Amino acid sequence: MSTPVIHDPTTLPSDDNVNAYTFCVELKGSQWFLQKGKMIAYYGQIDFNGIGHGRFDRLIRTSFHSPLHASDWVVAEGSGKMLLADRAFDVNSFDLENGNLTIRSGNLLAYQPTLALKQSIVPGFLTLIGTGKFVAASNGPVVFMEPPLRVDPQALVGWADCPSPCHHYDHGYMTGVLGGLRSLTGMGGTSGEEHQFEFVGAGTVLLQSTEVLMPEQATGATPHEPGVPGGSAGAGQPGSAPRMPGQLGDLQRRFGL
Amino acid sequence: MFRLQGSKTLAVDLTGDAVKAKNGSMVAYDGQMTFKKMSGGGEGIRGMVTRRLTGEQMTMMEVKGQGTCYFADRASEINLVSLHGDKLYVEASNLLATDAGLRTGTTFTGLRGGTSGNGLFTTTVEGTGQAAIMSDGSAVVLRVTRQYPLVVDPGAYIAHQGSLQQHFQSGVNFRTLMGEGSGESFQIRFEGDGLVYVQPSERNTVGGDV
Repeated sequence: MSTPVIHDPTTLPSDDNVNAYTFCVELKGSQWFLQKGKMIAYYGQIDFNGIGHGRFDRLIRTSFHSPLHASDWVVAEGSGKMLLADRAFDVNSFDLENGNLTIRSGNLLAYQPTLALKQSIVPGFLTLIGTGKFVAASNGPVVFMEPPLRVDPQALVGWADCPSPCHHYDHGYMTGVLGGLRSLTGMGGTSGEEHQFEFVGAGTVLLQSTEVLMPEQATGATPHEPGVPGGSAGAGQPGSAPRMPGQLGDLQRRFGL
Repeated sequence: MFRLQGSKTLAVDLTGDAVKAKNGSMVAYDGQMTFKKMSGGGEGIRGMVTRRLTGEQMTMMEVKGQGTCYFADRASEINLVSLHGDKLYVEASNLLATDAGLRTGTTFTGLRGGTSGNGLFTTTVEGTGQAAIMSDGSAVVLRVTRQYPLVVDPGAYIAHQGSLQQHFQSGVNFRTLMGEGSGESFQIRFEGDGLVYVQPSERNTVGGDV
């Protein structure tokens, strides 16, 4: 019989994985930001406080720049060891050293307050800037790739440094009504791979090894200003006719982006 | 004799003896096996009535024979537990198999059960032998000692063994009511000596979002 490993506070790793799905954070009077409800167990004295807590005003001013997200995040504070996990997805920690990384909002689990969290201009993504450790979940192990490359939208977890992300459509898809209709209805056969994200420039792209998306975490709405991507005020040009869903040319809506 | 075949299949070597397993969890066997549904999980009339009343439903079968029998359930990760006269508390839905010599029963869990999304009652396994429990993702086994009490999220709890006292603690305050809850308002605190099994995934619980 294979006996399971029994952990206690002295054998649990400090800021490392316990197994592929569980991450252990050691707090020594320090603080961590974590997504609500991802703590599964802890030893020691740890307090969990919603971000709106007045005491955290300074902390939040320096490392949390996403006011509309605030209700999804908590600050863990105290001393002890804390286990984090997310729906039995793979979790991994990453170190940033004076760098930046943009990640799909549902994949980020926790981060050290030495990093600053900001909303990315790309809707649904968050950017971490600075030096420190963060923990991210993915469906299957994460693969690191170098641009230039094109990736499947569902497999994208995030990207580090500064590759330029853009949409890429296969040309055949765009030609004529028939092409559009075919990809809309699937009639005539589509490969499902006509649309990709393209990355060019220096940096690293993070991919997960399945195309099952992590359930999206609401990132909060961006400010309603013209010129802000995702901000609804700028979306429809004044005076233009309302778009029908699935109308040709309304590509991002068709892809549910 | 229980052993793991990979992390999601339980292999049991039988030499004329028997094991109790979750009904329908056999995936393969070699040798000669008989499968018999155990009415009331072999707990007698009283056990049957208790299970019916408490909603802690568990349908078990008795597997007897010569050879190797393989069990699995919905690709859950399987964890082996050795019992030496102590008691294992586990949710009926997480129990896959036990030695035939182990007694199973039902017990009241108090408030903890209400928050873990599994009802107010739980299943106990008692005696000396082996049991196999299931988890969503490989479970983490955490030791609780006098110096190191442990706090667990009710949604991630699957089982515990040993002499542990559990306390229910809630961090609900006026901020929770203002919608600034921490998401960790309900917790179970374990004190004493024993082991706690947690899974890296949270069930949907009543207090999960508070």
